[in-house]
Order: sequence, then structure tokens, then C-alpha cells
Amino acid sequence: MKLSEILAPRRIALDLKAKTKDEVLEELVRLLRLSSPARKTLVKTLLAREELGSTGVGNGVAIPHCRSLVVSKVLVAVGRSKRGISFKSPDGKRVFLFFLIVAPPVGDPGEYLVVLGTVAQAAKILAKDRRIKKVKTPREFIKLIKEIEK
Amino acid sequence: MNPQLQILIALQDILSLIREAKDPSQKRALGRMGFKMTNLEALEQTRENLEDQLSPAIRSQYARAKKRYGRIVAPVINGICYGCFVKIPSAIDTAEDRNQTLYRCENCGMFLFWVEK
Ligand SMILES: [Zn+2]
Repeated sequence: MKLSEILAPRRIALDLKAKTKDEVLEELVRLLRLSSPARKTLVKTLLAREELGSTGVGNGVAIPHCRSLVVSKVLVAVGRSKRGISFKSPDGKRVFLFFLIVAPPVGDPGEYLVVLGTVAQAAKILAKDRRIKKVKTPREFIKLIKEIEK
Repeated sequence: MNPQLQILIALQDILSLIREAKDPSQKRALGRMGFKMTNLEALEQTRENLEDQLSPAIRSQYARAKKRYGRIVAPVINGICYGCFVKIPSAIDTAEDRNQTLYRCENCGMFLFWVEK
């Protein structure tokens, strides 16, 4: 599975406005274009997931994720914050790059873990790649992911 | 959306999270990716808070489904209940008030939720 193939430009925001954990989850969920009740439920589930343990993986990256009834297929959204957001990461660093992953509770149980693993691996490389700060459009972001995946 | 259905969906999501956090193989796989799942008490508290928001009648149906299946809400996809994989009567599947009225599957008893495409 390639991350570049499951990313969609409309689900990538390169200048997040959010300043807090709650706000960034809301902003990322908005990219999935769900109905208002579905959006609210999903934000609550993601906040509950964060209570369980932060999904910040260090080096300025977080990968909020959960299974939720409100989606019918695995969806991925990406957000970049220029100022960074405090996200209770294990290394205490602010988070600049977010990957949101939401999967339905039914369907292929392995797919969710495969997507998570693929994102976690790409995120680790991206965190050390200076080009991520210079990317200007969602299409450029996907192009960068493609280069990393080569 | 029916407010009680919205609570039930949130509860179902929390139950999925709790199951994931308790499943040793899932926990291991996620741990290898760098995700910790340690604060289970907070999740159980969230679950209890949500349960308290259910009406008494719905809460007892919820408790029955949870005890029997470990799940409470089944998504309906292409007219099929994904709790028991039985076809929903088409009068209900095409009802205009689906997700507004709380429907349960006639076969398995789980609450039904029509997922957005
Ligand atoms: Zn059923």
C-alpha cells in the first residue's frame, strides 16, 4: 500500500489555523466533509483516543486515529501547522504535521493497521525532511510523499 | 440525527477503542508504531458518562445488545445490517426518517445506523 495513493488534495490543509488540541482535531475532521452530527461524534471519539494516550509520535508529528461508525471507508487527512501545536507528545515537542486516520469498525480489520503503519513509517521520514516546510500546495505534498516512497 | 442514536454511536466508538486497548495483539501492533494506550480508566469514565445520557428504555436495550454481542450499533450498508448480515426490510431501508427515528434490526436487535457514503 502506498500513502500517495490514498491521499486526496481536498483532504490536505497546509496552513492549519488551530491553536489547541481540540481545535486541530476539529479542523482535521472538517477536511473529511462529513455531516455535522457525524463530525461532532468523530471529534469526541478522537479526543477519547487522545485521553487513552497521546497519538503524538515525536519529532513534531502526530497521527490521531480511531475506528468510527461514521465513516464507510478508511479516510486519511493531513494538516500542517506553521506555529506548531502542543499535543502532549512523548518528547514534549510541539506538533507541526498531523495525519488523521479514521476507519470503519467493519470491513477488513487488517487494512486499518496497514494504513496506520504506512503513515507512521512515512511520517518518520517526513519529520526529518526539510522539504515538508517548503511545500506550497496539496499536490506538491503528494508529490513529496511519492518521492519518499520511491 | 436522533440524539439518542448520536449517543449510541459515540458509545459504540468508545467500545471499539476499549476493545482495541484490551486486545494484546492490537496493542502490540500499535505499540510498535509508537502509540501508547495506557489510560483505560479515562475511557471507562467517558463510557459511563455517555451511558448516563441514555433514556432508561434505550439503556436496557443497549445493555442487552452489549452483553450479547459486545456491540450495540450496526451500520447499514447497501440495505444489509452489518450486525447480522441480514437484509433490512426495504420499507425501513428507504424510510425518510432513518437516523432520525431510532430503528433496531428485526433479526439481531442492534440499533441501526445508515452510514453516509
Ligand atoms: Zn441485524
